[in-house]
Amino acid sequence: MSVGRDALREFWASKVSKMGVALLVLLVVVSVYVVLTYPLDFGLRYWNNPAYWADNPKAVPPEWWNLFTDKKLPPHVIKDFHEPSDVRDQRGRRILEYVYSFDFQYDEFPSFLSISLNNVTFSSRRPPRVEIFLDRPDNISVRLLRFTVTGPRPGEEAPYFRYVEAPNRVRITGDKNVFSALSAMLKKYYGLSIRPSEVGEIGAEKVAFGEPSGDGFKVLRGRYVLRAVVTGYDEDVDVGMLRMVVGGRVYGFSGTDTLGRDLAVGLLFGFPIALLIGFLTSTVTTIIGAITGVISGYMGGKVDTGIQRLSDIILNIPLLPILIFFTFVLGTEIPRLWVIIAILIAFSWPSLTIVVRPMVLQIRESQFVEAAVAIGAPRLWIMFRHIFPQVAPFVFAQLIFFTPSAILAEAALSFLGLGDPSMPTWGQILETGFRSGGVYIGYWWWVLPPGLLIVFAAITFVLIALGLEPVVNPRLRRMK
Amino acid sequence: MTDLLRLQDIKVYFRSRAGLFKTVEVKAVDGVSLSLGRGETLALVGESGCGKTTLARTSLRLIRPTSGRIIFDGADITHLPESELKWFRRKAQAIFQDPYSSIDPFMTVKQILEEPLILHKIGSREERMEMIARALEDVKLTPVEEFMGKYPHMLSGGQRQRVVIARALILRPEYIAADEPVSMIDASSRAEILYLMKELQERYGVGFLYITHDIATARHFSDRIAVMYLGKIVEMAEPRELIENPLHPYTQALIEAVPEPDPNNRFRERKVIPGEPPSPINPPPGCKFHPRCPYVMDRCRTEEPQLQEIKKGHLVACHLY
Amino acid sequence: MGVLRTIGIRALTLIGVVIAVLLMLVIVLGVTGLSDKMLKAIADQILMEIRQGLAREIKDPEALKAAIEQQRMEIYAAFGLDKPWYARIPDMVVRVMTFDLGYTRTIKSFTGSQRVADIIWERLPNTILLVTTAIAISAVLGLIIGVKVATRPGSRLDRVASYFSAISFALPTWWTGIIFIFVFAFYFRLFPFGGMYSAPPPEEPLARFLDLLWHAALPVTTLVVALVGSWIYVTRTIVLNTAQEDFVAAARAKGLPESVVRRRYIIRVAAPPILTNIVLGLAGSIGGAIITETVFQWPGMGSLYYQAIFSLEENLIIALTFIFTVVYVAARFILEILYIVLDPRVRY
Repeated sequence: MSVGRDALREFWASKVSKMGVALLVLLVVVSVYVVLTYPLDFGLRYWNNPAYWADNPKAVPPEWWNLFTDKKLPPHVIKDFHEPSDVRDQRGRRILEYVYSFDFQYDEFPSFLSISLNNVTFSSRRPPRVEIFLDRPDNISVRLLRFTVTGPRPGEEAPYFRYVEAPNRVRITGDKNVFSALSAMLKKYYGLSIRPSEVGEIGAEKVAFGEPSGDGFKVLRGRYVLRAVVTGYDEDVDVGMLRMVVGGRVYGFSGTDTLGRDLAVGLLFGFPIALLIGFLTSTVTTIIGAITGVISGYMGGKVDTGIQRLSDIILNIPLLPILIFFTFVLGTEIPRLWVIIAILIAFSWPSLTIVVRPMVLQIRESQFVEAAVAIGAPRLWIMFRHIFPQVAPFVFAQLIFFTPSAILAEAALSFLGLGDPSMPTWGQILETGFRSGGVYIGYWWWVLPPGLLIVFAAITFVLIALGLEPVVNPRLRRMK
Repeated sequence: MTDLLRLQDIKVYFRSRAGLFKTVEVKAVDGVSLSLGRGETLALVGESGCGKTTLARTSLRLIRPTSGRIIFDGADITHLPESELKWFRRKAQAIFQDPYSSIDPFMTVKQILEEPLILHKIGSREERMEMIARALEDVKLTPVEEFMGKYPHMLSGGQRQRVVIARALILRPEYIAADEPVSMIDASSRAEILYLMKELQERYGVGFLYITHDIATARHFSDRIAVMYLGKIVEMAEPRELIENPLHPYTQALIEAVPEPDPNNRFRERKVIPGEPPSPINPPPGCKFHPRCPYVMDRCRTEEPQLQEIKKGHLVACHLY
Repeated sequence: MGVLRTIGIRALTLIGVVIAVLLMLVIVLGVTGLSDKMLKAIADQILMEIRQGLAREIKDPEALKAAIEQQRMEIYAAFGLDKPWYARIPDMVVRVMTFDLGYTRTIKSFTGSQRVADIIWERLPNTILLVTTAIAISAVLGLIIGVKVATRPGSRLDRVASYFSAISFALPTWWTGIIFIFVFAFYFRLFPFGGMYSAPPPEEPLARFLDLLWHAALPVTTLVVALVGSWIYVTRTIVLNTAQEDFVAAARAKGLPESVVRRRYIIRVAAPPILTNIVLGLAGSIGGAIITETVFQWPGMGSLYYQAIFSLEENLIIALTFIFTVVYVAARFILEILYIVLDPRVRY
């Protein structure tokens, strides 16, 4: 349609539109990516499942933060072993040794140390024994921990399988026995008398990775070797996977929250949700508003008065309090997301109706409308074949304009705690950050990006709407 | 043979708000009766504001008369609800004045012509395409394929009006009301369009109500001319008779006003109607023309003259007769 | 006469709105069973007090039980709990209107009372203070800048203002607030983190007032930033449209000085639609107020909303929804009266 082509050209001409469309493409691409790669029940299965994030450091900034600070923070290291580094057979026992050696040159201690065992198999009645050693750069070697795999239960027959569905995870730096081992180390090598409970208070990681200095501990830099030795009493002993985690103080692209959740993952998930909310709400609102506007303007009479009264009443009701009320009251039965969308639609459509109506009133008097009546066109035909196309460009621009409002409204609701807790929308992430006091503690990486993304999404649509404006409102075209 | 269309004592009054509390009654059409035979062209001539457009719209039931009856093909359609008028809409069509606004700017020519067919469920897709092609050929918009895909803003005023005519004829109506069909078209194209309409009218036997302020074209195009002034018909006769023997003073003045190409007559003084066309809100009492009439008598100020047949086929409403 | 009639109709419509909202609230409460819950809570409270009184008088446990049961039935009947919820609609409507909704579970007012009405009444002025200040500043700023920008369309100032408006529109209020806290409170330590007064508030009136100002600075600025953008834009558009009208050109052609043209022809004519848009923007202000109060922990009705949601106090939420609606409707009404006064066309 050449009318459309002219319009497109006009739209494209301004820089604003180009930027807006570019941002929109970016949003859509990311959303498609997320939809394709994430499972649908991501929210419940992963996001709200603390076990999934157990191996992450809690509340740490993103990795690139290291570029901006003088203190170098250790990165988060996860080392998975599917096979032992070394296997020895010694006096009827099979020894699996897992060795991880790393160079620690950072200004801060690791946040924690943990080990997980997955899929352990053995067939002797005596279960395997696991020992964890830490070899420090100052040539001190500490046996941090020693524990035994759960033995065979009465009635159970070999081979025995352990930790198949869920790994056995040991947080080394939180274990009392480790405190004792470290306390002993301090006494033996540094002559310090620090009780195990005190080691726990200072922080086991500080002791394990540091050396005493003044009142506290200083980071001991150098080469460390973390060794896990699994001693089994039969030939079938096998560990499906052994994982060592040296908790970092930075993580990933966007850092983590207090549950250790990778914020980048959560934020990505927010993309398609934001787009869904934005588009769904604004599309339905626009359709309803446009249709009622056309009907109201063309049919006149009681229908018109009725629609106008209804619009008037709805417009006089403040949106946010009502949203809050409904979400609160209905949110327990119906998934919150749909309640929010429904209420947004129900209370937004009249704002379009009252603008479309006077336009329709004017178009109604056109001669081609009269001609259509003369041809014998029924009212519905005239309304949608002749009148609607005239208001369509304006309505479309409004659609674009509504979208950011919807996104912002949902974000605001989530922020107040009325969002859908099973799904990590940007508003939700921000709300969790705010509620846990993140603002006051300075967890900027948690609090700023979601807001930034919301602003970014909103601006995308605002830019496009700005670009559309001269197309729709010819008076502004004159000035260019 | 029954008349195609009969208007009986049609009155169309509008109410309008003028100022704070007053409502004012506009007597657009104040008692008009006329009849149109099949295939006949009746021209309605008058100045702006005399009510001819309103009358045309009423004849198409686009406006409901305040009183009076519209009888089309023997059926009284005055008060029929829109839902029962579909058959009428197929048989009666309109050609409006402004080719720039009487077709939908968002539709192609093909869609514009196809619309009436679709609405009245005529023909299959292929049949409709054929009808559209033939319609375009009728109005001489060829090559047909080229014009089908064009939008109104791509056509000239004359071409648009041809589309309007094609649309009016595509349903093969029995009656067409054409309201000043050529007044907004360049003078050079006017004759062509008028001849086109005449040709098509004869070919398809359509009854025409041709509305115009230009008595010259009325003469060429119509079988009968009716002169309207301020909502009433003041004279009606066959064209030749009317032009050669105008009886009503208003008609006489209208004819005088037509420019003549004969250079020998350029110094002849013409009679000019004094005064201005009055507004239908406050019509003068008695004969509505009396304030401007050179032959005004006392009777004219108080009594309204009725339309009477003075000679065969020649009616006039004037106290002079 | 026309003016009064128009105002009268408006008032009726707006009252209709309030009633509609009330009905909606009450019906939803009834359908979800919350009204039952609430009334029962109130009734049970009364019952408990009566029970203590009765226990002192009647010693026989059987007779006591019977007496309590009878009291319970009477009280329940008095509250209409023996009828289905739709029979109680008028009663509930009155209850909501007068905030007679009982007691909260955990949230207390500043004076320690737990009655819903008390809690709300003492917070109302704080919210009004915050919101009116912000609106006043935004309106004034918006008008001045908007007009200034409109008289120089296409200039750099105009473009900057447009971008600023677009950004301001897209900025969520709460995020702006959080950023402000981060930058000015956390990093620069210029302003307080939140609250209305320091703890403990200063005694002396002047110091107290300054303390208030100091605490109010960030929240008010946040609100203003959120509002002013769209107001500048709207003002600019409307003034621009008006300035292009022919009658303005005619006024200039008459030789009137620009300032007169601006004042009498442009601004006077543009005022009504600008006012309409301000009215429409009020809804945003309320939303913004709720959120800003929460972010800055300003003790007004907005942050009360937040706490009520967190503590699941449904009676507070109901009362708050209602009062916000009333405030909103009242504000619109006032503005519409202003509109009628300013625009002669509407009077007839």
